[in-house]
Amino acid sequence: MLTDVIAAVATPPGRSAIALIRVSGRGCHAVAAKVLQPFNPQPYRRARRAKAVDPRTGEILDQVLYTVFAAPASYTGEDMVEIGTHGGLLVPAGVLAALFAAGARQAAPGEFTRRAVLNGKLDLIQAEAVADVIDAATPAQRRAALRQLDRGLSRRIEQLREQVLELEALVSYDIDFPEEDSGPVPPQRVEAAATALLEALRGLLATAADGEKLREGALVVIAGRPNAGKSSLFNALLGSERAIVTEIPGTTRDAIEAMASCGGFPFRLVDTAGLRESEDRVEKLGIEVSRRYLRAADLVLFCVEAGRDLEPEEKRFVEELGDRVLIVRTKADLVPIDELPPPEAAELWVSALSGTGLDRLRDRLAERAFSGLAGGGDLAELVTRERHRLALERALEEVESFVRARREGIEAAVAATHLRAAVAALEELIGVVSTEDILDRVFSTFCVGK
Amino acid sequence: MVEVIVVGGGHAGCEAASAAARMGARVLLITSSLDTIGQMSCNPAIGGVAKGTVVREIDAFGGIMARAADRSTIQFRMLNRSKGPAVWAPRAQCDRTIYRRAVRRLLEENDNIMLLQGTVAALKLRGDKAIGVTTVDGRELAADAVILTAGTFLRGKIHIGTETRIPGGRAGDPAAVDIAEQLEALGLEVDRFKTGTPPRVDGRTVDFSKLERQDGEMPEYRFSHFERVPRPEQRPCWITWAGEEVKEIIRQNLKASALYGGAISGRGPRYCPSVEDKVVKFPDAERHQIFLEPEGLDTCELYVNGLSTSLPVEVQLRFLAAVPGLERARMTRPGYAIEYDYYPPHQLTPWLEVKAIERLFFAGQINGTTGYEEAAAQGVLAGINAVRRARGEEPVMLGRDTAYIGVLVDDLVTRGVDEPYRLFTSRAEFRLLLRQDNALKRLGPLARELGMLRSHEVEILQRRLEEEERLLESSRTTRVSPDQANGWLELWGERPLQEPTRIAELVRRPRVRLRELLRASGVELALGDLEEALMSVEIELKYEGYLERERQAARKLSEMANFRLPVDLPYLEFKSLSTEARQKLDRIRPQSLAQAGRIPGVSPSDLQNLVLEVLKRRRQVA
Repeated sequence: MLTDVIAAVATPPGRSAIALIRVSGRGCHAVAAKVLQPFNPQPYRRARRAKAVDPRTGEILDQVLYTVFAAPASYTGEDMVEIGTHGGLLVPAGVLAALFAAGARQAAPGEFTRRAVLNGKLDLIQAEAVADVIDAATPAQRRAALRQLDRGLSRRIEQLREQVLELEALVSYDIDFPEEDSGPVPPQRVEAAATALLEALRGLLATAADGEKLREGALVVIAGRPNAGKSSLFNALLGSERAIVTEIPGTTRDAIEAMASCGGFPFRLVDTAGLRESEDRVEKLGIEVSRRYLRAADLVLFCVEAGRDLEPEEKRFVEELGDRVLIVRTKADLVPIDELPPPEAAELWVSALSGTGLDRLRDRLAERAFSGLAGGGDLAELVTRERHRLALERALEEVESFVRARREGIEAAVAATHLRAAVAALEELIGVVSTEDILDRVFSTFCVGK
Repeated sequence: MVEVIVVGGGHAGCEAASAAARMGARVLLITSSLDTIGQMSCNPAIGGVAKGTVVREIDAFGGIMARAADRSTIQFRMLNRSKGPAVWAPRAQCDRTIYRRAVRRLLEENDNIMLLQGTVAALKLRGDKAIGVTTVDGRELAADAVILTAGTFLRGKIHIGTETRIPGGRAGDPAAVDIAEQLEALGLEVDRFKTGTPPRVDGRTVDFSKLERQDGEMPEYRFSHFERVPRPEQRPCWITWAGEEVKEIIRQNLKASALYGGAISGRGPRYCPSVEDKVVKFPDAERHQIFLEPEGLDTCELYVNGLSTSLPVEVQLRFLAAVPGLERARMTRPGYAIEYDYYPPHQLTPWLEVKAIERLFFAGQINGTTGYEEAAAQGVLAGINAVRRARGEEPVMLGRDTAYIGVLVDDLVTRGVDEPYRLFTSRAEFRLLLRQDNALKRLGPLARELGMLRSHEVEILQRRLEEEERLLESSRTTRVSPDQANGWLELWGERPLQEPTRIAELVRRPRVRLRELLRASGVELALGDLEEALMSVEIELKYEGYLERERQAARKLSEMANFRLPVDLPYLEFKSLSTEARQKLDRIRPQSLAQAGRIPGVSPSDLQNLVLEVLKRRRQVA
């Protein structure tokens, strides 16, 4: 059932000054009334004091502050009550149990947001953004998520849908109004509209690489010969920002990956130095790195001790990676400063020991991995999830099929079925369709009326 | 004993009477003037894009319109011919008099139909049920069901300029007022629409040397599946245009227009705009096309299509003179606008019965539609269902994937109308399935099942279905050899074959034609009216993938259509639905989930919650 009364503690468990309990669903005011004394729902959206009481025993559980919301003006779009209790482990759990006794049930994970979507308070993309805002670990992630929550991406997809409808209107006009003033729509006009649409779709899809990278973190792999200072660099880059160290499934337990924030952007740093001999490694070159990671890497930090020339095999390795490699001179503290590369050089230097050069390396990482996003304060609309990308790819595929069908001489009404499929793919991401939309476009564009 | 009374003798009324009579009911058709039965009040043409397909759908039920059009066609064109057979749209210019007489005759050929001249004053009701009508001259007529097809006659008002305002349902015919007042008193919601007609001119005063002549085509084509009558003598149409001079005259006199001077408040259609509208909304258009259409064989009067107007007569005379070829033309009748009552059609069930009054049906322009074909289509469905309901049988509904009639009626009762409603192919989700060539295949079997086809018509249907089956089978099993095919392939500019290939596969190539391949491989082809079967089969094979995609989508829709919604759901109490959705659902009371989904303002999440509400209720009941 989707409208029954649910309740959950919305703040993390543990010692804290206050905790927040959310109650939502039809009849939740009556449920709250059994627990809160006194309970005055109106006026809505105003905080009031009350005692929280166990309805079974009459025992007073806490002094609370509560706020009542009436549907549809609430987060979920349903009637809601928010109860601020004292923090800690016992008090919130006690009030929650009292609410359950009064008729509420434990909310499933994400159920409040799910209801907000079902009640039209958020569209799907916004709901995903809620999770992303909560999970944001870096400023750039937060900015992107907030933009989506603000319907930035939704609006962009709506625009694309409009564009497809526009194109279909041109085709439909030709079919539905064969004897009009302006004559048939010139094929160039349809082609131009199709080309513009393809560009727009591809443009948005092109952000998927950056967008997914932004959500999941850019993969940076540290490589170099034994003893080149890889692990020190790894640890120095993580510094205090070191978040989670995960074991990567399918690799030895020595390959470590950790999230780091550099220049406000998220990175997944990987050090594969300790991998066992059996791993597929770039052994002939004497360079320590797993090939599997190398293939997936957005960037490779290639560590070379400061003050020595690159060996021929190292040069080959660097050449093979092309623009995905960044050479880092390590152990800079062991070399006189004038033997280090100048600031404007492609190579960077760091001293993991003193921390010198780390900030410049971080900035460079952000620049290289998020070239499309770094710099400008305002992020453009990004496709940050696979679900978005797949739907957009499907829409793109349909529009491409439409163009191909027309070129092959397949009649317009038949080719147009691809456009309807493209619209459906986009709508899956956001909203509803109506054939009326196409006609509205026809009438606003053409003078019809024999 | 009369089973069904049809009020009105226009296109909706005539088809309603015919359909009901074909179902075996005794039908009484009552109209203010027997002489104007089947009158074409607007342009003298039947068919067009989507509409032509509707004419064929009506014919599949044994209807009148196709037969009357075939008998009166004086110029015929297949619109969209260059755009491929999937969107071919037959349209005929018809002789108004022959058409009208043909309709009357076709009605009278059916012994179940009685015609009666009279004006209906009121509906007779018992409780919430219609049981007959009374006429202004005091006759009381009883029936099991009543179909009201009042067209534009309910409180109709004719405007010519801002000064002239004549009550009337059509130039020369009085409006109906009494019954309009009764319907309003019964609590039916009513609204106003407007529509317009252009002036007509005397063909003897037209300078044809300045006009482009447009002759007809496809002399072998007939709308009707069931009879092949000879066409009368053919006449051309003529094309001219309204240029800057005409636009300037109209611009200067906009205030005198009933539309722009404020005399008319009702909304008009966007696709059939008055020339005033065209000038105002598209100021940059250099010229607007005008078609001079023959009114008939025994008259030289021409219908000036494209210049619909409500300007005063004097202004009409001036702008006509500014049209190339019409410099010296005499105007025989001025154009005018008409304002009339319609009943917002959300008040109807999907079988066109008035929800508030049992066994009362509305069909045609009274429901806010425009066009002869749209009206006739509703007539057929109302006729069928008046009989079904009178006999206590399940109503018949048509799906959006089955017929344009289904699209039309579903749009009306689900979305409502905010301008006079006309059909377009764009309104159909499954444009490729609803074609003029397969109307009989789509609807003939249902008509047969309902008992609407006569024995020779059933035979024609049978033969047609068998022929398609045979051609499909041959095309799928027969391989054509390189020797047989390559000559043709070269001609069409297609790659030659290396080895024998199934015809069904080869015909998927865009330029390849089925007829030649079948003939080349020795498959026998039928002639005459069965030739259309070949066209249907070719489309089915050529676009098999596309059609299958539409059919899949249609099946998905019908799954939703099978989820029935009880009519008495307390929508307003469903707090899980948005306020807008609650109100709209409460007003429209859809029959199925699919219909609910098409109501503007009902979102996918509303639908999901609606399902849960219904399931919850089912559990509570069980």
